[in-house]
Amino acid sequence: MEIRVEQIGDQETEYIEIGCHVRDARVNELVRKLQLWQGRVEAFREERQYQIAIADIYYIEAVDERTFLYLEKDCYESRKRLYELEAMLEERGFVRISKSVIVDLMKVTAIRPALNGRFLCRLRNGEDVIISRKYVPAVKAILRGEKGGGL
Amino acid sequence: MRDRFKEIVQTFFIIVTLVDAAMLILGRMFRPEQQFGYEIFIYPLIYGAIGCVPSLLMRERRELTVRQTVIREAVHMMLLVVLILAFLFGGRPVRREDVPVAAGVAVSVVVIYGLVTLIGWMLDLRTANAMTEDLRRLQQRAAEEDEAV
Repeated sequence: MEIRVEQIGDQETEYIEIGCHVRDARVNELVRKLQLWQGRVEAFREERQYQIAIADIYYIEAVDERTFLYLEKDCYESRKRLYELEAMLEERGFVRISKSVIVDLMKVTAIRPALNGRFLCRLRNGEDVIISRKYVPAVKAILRGEKGGGL
Repeated sequence: MRDRFKEIVQTFFIIVTLVDAAMLILGRMFRPEQQFGYEIFIYPLIYGAIGCVPSLLMRERRELTVRQTVIREAVHMMLLVVLILAFLFGGRPVRREDVPVAAGVAVSVVVIYGLVTLIGWMLDLRTANAMTEDLRRLQQRAAEEDEAV
């Protein structure tokens, strides 16, 4: 694929255009990557497609083979699996806190103990999400800056 | 696995200490005249080991909600009462004259269980506060980096 970069005037809106014979999986992947680079992910609600700003996502949960994006008040469904979103959003401060949840650390206001060696993350919108015992050491290491987490 | 082992060992020693205190209090209440040999020192260790049995047996594969965890803890505690009474009375039925002792032991188990949970929660609170501090530092660092960009 030939890559062309054209310089445009200050008054014009910057754009990326893809010229292709067929809009196949390869092109769709490229589009998704560009959207992510711009800070958006594709999501659905009532059969309608939306572009959700990553900065608006509080946490992502997998329930019965389906993946849901939770914003301050709204909830959208993603067609991606949790591990795919985890890999995509790791660099944006999202961290796995249990088998079924990844959370944006920037949206967490406090961590409190729950029963049984688990912890609760209180989010800015007042919701609580559980850090399961298995993930506590990894979360601690990320918070101390000893391990990835993309921050 | 290592964390689970650490947690069970921690629970064991907390139970041993609290059982020791409960034996002192219950002994003074029900059998103040009784004297023991060195073998008495083994009992807190046995009760500590029994106290760890439900933790070893009850292990969930899926993530429990806070409510489910509370129910699980209640079942855990009842199982513990049954195990300790079974050990204490050697599996024979509790006779009428044993009822005060059995009730005292059951109440002690509940109190000790509550204290073990409370002490564990307080240790977790310290960890949670340290994690919140680390989180604040991380968020501050990220905000400063964003401003720099």
